[in-house]
Amino acid sequence: MQLDALLILAVVMFCAGLMVAITRKNAIMVLIGIELMLNAANLNLVAFSRFDPQALQGQIFTLFVITVAVAEAVVALALAFKVYHYFQTVDLDKISTLKK
Amino acid sequence: MIDVLDILEPKNTHLLLWVLSLLGIPLISFLLSFFAGNQAPGIATLLIFINLLIATTMCFEFWSSETIIKGEWFATAGRQFTYAFYIDKLTLMMSMVVNFIGLMVHLFSVEYMRKDPCISRYFAYLGLFLFSMLLIVLSHDLLFLFVGWELVGLTSYLLIGFWWKKRKATTAANKAFIMNRVGDLGFLTGLMILFAQFQSFDLEVIKSLMIFSEIEQGQWVTSYLYAGVEIFKSVDGRWLSAAGIALFCGAVGKSAQFPLQVWLPDAMEGPTPVSALIHAATMVAAGVYMLARIFVLLDAQALEVVAIVGAVTAFMAAIAALSQFDIKKVLAYSTISQLGYMVMAMGVGAYTASLFHLFTHAFFKAGLFLTAGIIIHQLHHVESNKVSFDPQDMRVMGGLRKHMPYTFAAFLFCAMALVGLPGFTGFLSKDAILLNVAVWADLKGGGFYIPEVLAFMTVVFTSFYTFRMVFLVFFGENRLTRILGDGQITSQIKEGTRMLLIPACLLAILSISWALGLGFDAQDNWLVRALPTPIYLVPISYAAQSLVDVPDDVFKYLHPLVVSISVALALVGIIIAYFAFKPGAKMERRFTERREPVGALGQISFYHWYQDALYQKLFVQLIIWKSKGFDWIDRHMIDAFVVRFGQLQVIIAHIIKWLDRQVVDGLVHGLTLLVGSVGKIGRSMQTGNIQSQVMLSFLFLILLILIFAF
Repeated sequence: MQLDALLILAVVMFCAGLMVAITRKNAIMVLIGIELMLNAANLNLVAFSRFDPQALQGQIFTLFVITVAVAEAVVALALAFKVYHYFQTVDLDKISTLKK
Repeated sequence: MIDVLDILEPKNTHLLLWVLSLLGIPLISFLLSFFAGNQAPGIATLLIFINLLIATTMCFEFWSSETIIKGEWFATAGRQFTYAFYIDKLTLMMSMVVNFIGLMVHLFSVEYMRKDPCISRYFAYLGLFLFSMLLIVLSHDLLFLFVGWELVGLTSYLLIGFWWKKRKATTAANKAFIMNRVGDLGFLTGLMILFAQFQSFDLEVIKSLMIFSEIEQGQWVTSYLYAGVEIFKSVDGRWLSAAGIALFCGAVGKSAQFPLQVWLPDAMEGPTPVSALIHAATMVAAGVYMLARIFVLLDAQALEVVAIVGAVTAFMAAIAALSQFDIKKVLAYSTISQLGYMVMAMGVGAYTASLFHLFTHAFFKAGLFLTAGIIIHQLHHVESNKVSFDPQDMRVMGGLRKHMPYTFAAFLFCAMALVGLPGFTGFLSKDAILLNVAVWADLKGGGFYIPEVLAFMTVVFTSFYTFRMVFLVFFGENRLTRILGDGQITSQIKEGTRMLLIPACLLAILSISWALGLGFDAQDNWLVRALPTPIYLVPISYAAQSLVDVPDDVFKYLHPLVVSISVALALVGIIIAYFAFKPGAKMERRFTERREPVGALGQISFYHWYQDALYQKLFVQLIIWKSKGFDWIDRHMIDAFVVRFGQLQVIIAHIIKWLDRQVVDGLVHGLTLLVGSVGKIGRSMQTGNIQSQVMLSFLFLILLILIFAF
């Protein structure tokens, strides 16, 4: 398996995540997009680690990232829940209080 | 050489309190009376009484001393100005007379002005007058004298126009003020000449430098030190005469001398006590007093002018007094005439006689005015809604002897003093003047006999008009009955109250020569001894021949002659008056119907030599034409220019307005528009939408990477 193919996959995944994060109105969907971008990065780490036989740092770092990402997902979901509770919506277009 | 600053050194300043109290009390009276309302008469009279006491005390304190009080006032342009007061017999006597007559007039006014709503203003003005008059009397500095001089002019103006609702009174006040300004212009010129020569207004300086000034080849030369610097002044000698004549012009205005005397008869529009105080006894005598102060500075030419003007005035006014209907007008012309005597006496060098007449005249003329005031006051009371007449007009009088015996007695005493009958003060002073004039005329000879002739003729006229007045006012039947056809009206005329009679009677008593302790000799009494004629200080070649140098024999030889002629002339005048105006005489019977005298002489007399009409034609018309001319120039030239200029301004303003609107405003608006649109662009980025911001962050991140990568 070629490294290029893996990197292209990661790019496609990242772009998809970015698109989702930028365009979707639902906050949950934006979170999913962010997870996608994170995992694209993980994929990069794993791919580079595969072609470096002396060490497994990339794979181990990925494990850490996944662990932290879980925690982060929990916090983000809690935030999303709180935002919903406060604004009665998770539509990001309507939660534009930063402008005020 | 004399240093002027040595003479100007302050001295005797510890005695200043006397002078300040004498000046200050009338000033306090002026200020208090204004706010005292109905209490003003009492307060003012009390204050003047205190002032009279102070003046009397000063008389005892300073009688035999000649004290100069001097102190620094201010210094400017290297010249020291001082205030200076002089206390000698003359100032003491003058302040006594001013205060005494002031007090009499205050007492009289309490009753006379009782019903006037503006009584506090009246007494305030009287206080101001006494202050300024005493300032003239006491000051020994020509600048101070001038200040007092102008202040009495002001108070005279204020009091003539006291009843400002009467149009005649206001015009008379204006006339008096303007006429006096003409004279004061001369006074000011004289001051300037003396200052230019001597660098000081102080009379002591002027006198001490005058002694050392000389006439060299027609030049008036003075040299002296000023603060150590030698000053040498040399001007044409005629300036010396000019200074004297210019200063005399001031006296011409204030003492109502020809040709400025026309204001005094009109000044009778003021209240009668004011006429007694200001326009008979004191203010009009200020001119003579001023001449006495500068007497030693007058040279022969100036003195000749003074003498001739005085004689002409005395004669003209005596003629004018012959045919007046208004009792106060007669007294006014009589005052002018007597002032003419005083001025003439100054001119002939009879300093003593002139001041002697000033003092005696002050008493008897004030007495005459006050008695006339009583008559006017009592006749005014008879007036009612139904009956109205002019209470000053002698045509409504007659037979008042029976109604007011005391007034009659007082009037008769003063009148006899005015005529100059032996035993009365007027006799002594007039005798002294006539004698000196006779001696002077003999000394000079030629045309200088004319003043003497005029002076003696005036005696006849004086006695004629005085006794014409006495007969018309007090004898016969009251003409009011005839005019109004009301037989009951005369019974309403009553004698004046005690407040009116006491001052008038006191003044009448003081016109008897023994009452003043003067005795019977015009040449030797305490008053004459107190005021010896000073010696002229002007350079010898310009000085007049002093009457002091004339041997006593000349006086002794002429004296009986002069006395007998003057008394005889006075008696002739009385006799003519008696035959013309005794009750039932032809002129007396026709008197009521007359509107104005017939015949050229009568007209000249009644209209005072047409002097008023002449001035009206000559000066007033001239000024009106001049004013009209200026008005035309103002309207058609200056105004037109101003209007054109204004229009130009408007046009320029329009252009500027256009520029402002289009260019300046456009720039400002453009700038704001620019800033606004930039702001709008920046604002549009701030949507508040998280996602767009994330997108932007990514875009910029990519840009950053691109920049770093290449």
